Amino acid sequence: MNVLVINNAAPFIRGGAEELADELVRRLNATKGITAELLRVPFRWEPAECIAEQILLNRSLQLYQVDRVIGLKFPAYLIPHSCKVLWLLHQFRQAYDLYESGLSHLRGHKAGERIAQLIRNADNQCFRECRAIYTLSSVTQSRLRKFNGFDSTVLTQPLVDGELFTGGEYGDYVFAGGRVGPGKRQHLLVEAMRYAKTPFKLVVAGPPDEAAYTGRLEKLVAKYDLGDRVELRLGFHSRHAIAKLVNHALACAYLPIDEDSLGYVTMEAFCAGKAVIAAEDSGGVLELVHDAETGFIAPADPENLAERLERLVSDRSKTIAMGLAAKSLLNTKNLSWDATVDRLLSS
Amino acid sequence: MKIAIVSSFVPFVYGGARYIADWLAQKLLEHGHQVERFYLPFVDRTDDLFDQILAFRLIDLSSACDRLIALRPPAHVLPHPNKVLWFIHHIRGFYDLWDTPYRMAPDNPSGRAIRACLIELDTRTIREARRVFTNSQVVAKRLLNYNGIPATPLYPPILSPERFHNDGYGDEIVVICRIELHKRQWLLVEAMRYVETAVKLRLCGTSMNSANIDAIRATITRHSLQSKVILEDRWISEQEKIERLASALAVAYVPQDEDSYGYCSLEAAHADKAVLTTDDSGGVLELVSNEINGLVVPPDPRALADAMDRLFVDRSRTAAMGEANKSRLQQLGVDWDTVVRALTS
Repeated sequence: MNVLVINNAAPFIRGGAEELADELVRRLNATKGITAELLRVPFRWEPAECIAEQILLNRSLQLYQVDRVIGLKFPAYLIPHSCKVLWLLHQFRQAYDLYESGLSHLRGHKAGERIAQLIRNADNQCFRECRAIYTLSSVTQSRLRKFNGFDSTVLTQPLVDGELFTGGEYGDYVFAGGRVGPGKRQHLLVEAMRYAKTPFKLVVAGPPDEAAYTGRLEKLVAKYDLGDRVELRLGFHSRHAIAKLVNHALACAYLPIDEDSLGYVTMEAFCAGKAVIAAEDSGGVLELVHDAETGFIAPADPENLAERLERLVSDRSKTIAMGLAAKSLLNTKNLSWDATVDRLLSS
Repeated sequence: MKIAIVSSFVPFVYGGARYIADWLAQKLLEHGHQVERFYLPFVDRTDDLFDQILAFRLIDLSSACDRLIALRPPAHVLPHPNKVLWFIHHIRGFYDLWDTPYRMAPDNPSGRAIRACLIELDTRTIREARRVFTNSQVVAKRLLNYNGIPATPLYPPILSPERFHNDGYGDEIVVICRIELHKRQWLLVEAMRYVETAVKLRLCGTSMNSANIDAIRATITRHSLQSKVILEDRWISEQEKIERLASALAVAYVPQDEDSYGYCSLEAAHADKAVLTTDDSGGVLELVSNEINGLVVPPDPRALADAMDRLFVDRSRTAAMGEANKSRLQQLGVDWDTVVRALTS
């Protein structure tokens, strides 16, 4: 079966959507009986009036020799095909939530309302004709319901390199990965370490969002004399280096504020069979972290976090058991590429 | 320089037109340019011909890149102030194939109007380009005849030609290209009925239309040619291709009035193999001269059979023609430095 993945393209720019599209094509091609290709259609949204042309152009393109289309982004997913499935990364938000909140470039345009309406009409017509609509997160799912009245199924993006997170011996440190910044609150973990009496280490590794936050963490370490118990490895690390830190940790910690999704950091830890400490207000992360089952959920303050960290260290067998439970929970969520590809091909 | 390469494609159909864009992108990168490559879908179908061309016209990269290099039609209709064409063929059913069974619309007022409109549209959008290169003399002549636009041939090389090598001259005449009616593998199979030596024919390739493969297989069975004709109806790997060519006696490429010499002829030359072609094969004749670096015969099964027998019997002559094929490439300037210089100046 020939499967064409369709994405739009901002020339000379690569980001998460491009990585996802490439990975999806690779995974499809690794599936028995499937040949996949990526079609990228250049997209220009400024000036706003050219959006009408962009809709027209995508609707005018013709596909031949294609058995199934997986559309990712507006307006490329408008290319006609009788067997189309969407995996919506997000909609063209300028015509939806950003329009409503006044942040859309269409708001200042004299024909803005009509252009926004045109986009919504084109979307609705396309959505009606699709075999199935999957969304990347529950946020996109609820926007689609609210603005277009279409139901969809959340299909989370699996880890691109899940193979790296094999797990390994349970070491003597708790690992906090992911981007480092106020939104991820690594400072709470550092502060928690001053209350923890049991000997173990905290390792924080990842790219810092801002230099000021790096300074703040370093000052905390100095202030509470935590130099031999907190290791800050702030900066870029290879995926292999990150995986190694996860694989040999006793457990992991991840404290984002109201995350949209399950969070990669959580998925990586679970994949490697490590329990995770999260905060009560960590949002989507709590879909995976269940208190005392696959990790601990604590109020977002240093004393409470310290107490959970100590429990991880003092009862290692319980910690390991929670890690294994985390791994099985992740497996039941079917967040594998095989399951994802299966969904996208079966509807 | 920020360069966008735009070409059209039929998804899941692979062939020379894709390589030219992929390889060019790689070479431009090596020369320090930033490169984006876009393949946009296009189907040779009359009903929605202008809708599809409209879509291409509406793609506006004029502020996104410093230069646009357009390859397969209708990529040449994209607007850009610094557009350069490496024009590889027209939509031929409305051009040179109009007076053939491959005509894409009936020869009536409506069909003729579509044709006139397409030619007018092509002429106008090709004229927007700063420079117009073609992949052959044949296409350059067509541009002059039909559109009144002068163009310069810029011969497309293959990537890393040093991959190919010669292991001697075996018994097989090898054909590695898509199996389509106009590539006329069927003519070579017919010819195999008349050969008198132990020469063999090996066909490698896939088809847009499986009926073409079925027809060839039926011919093989009907004339009991199973021991003489080997059919590999799949897309062979590059490594397999290298091996097939290394041990080949010669290569055959007998398309009907093809636009350019074809990558398979170049690959033959890099493996020191002579090319058997026909006197109506078009662009192939810009590369192959009879008795110099290959044989050129009429598109007739008996003539082809006779040529195959000659290649088989007089091996030293066949080997000498194969070696002459490589020097012919230098003579024509088939190399990437020439291409990059032309397209970026």
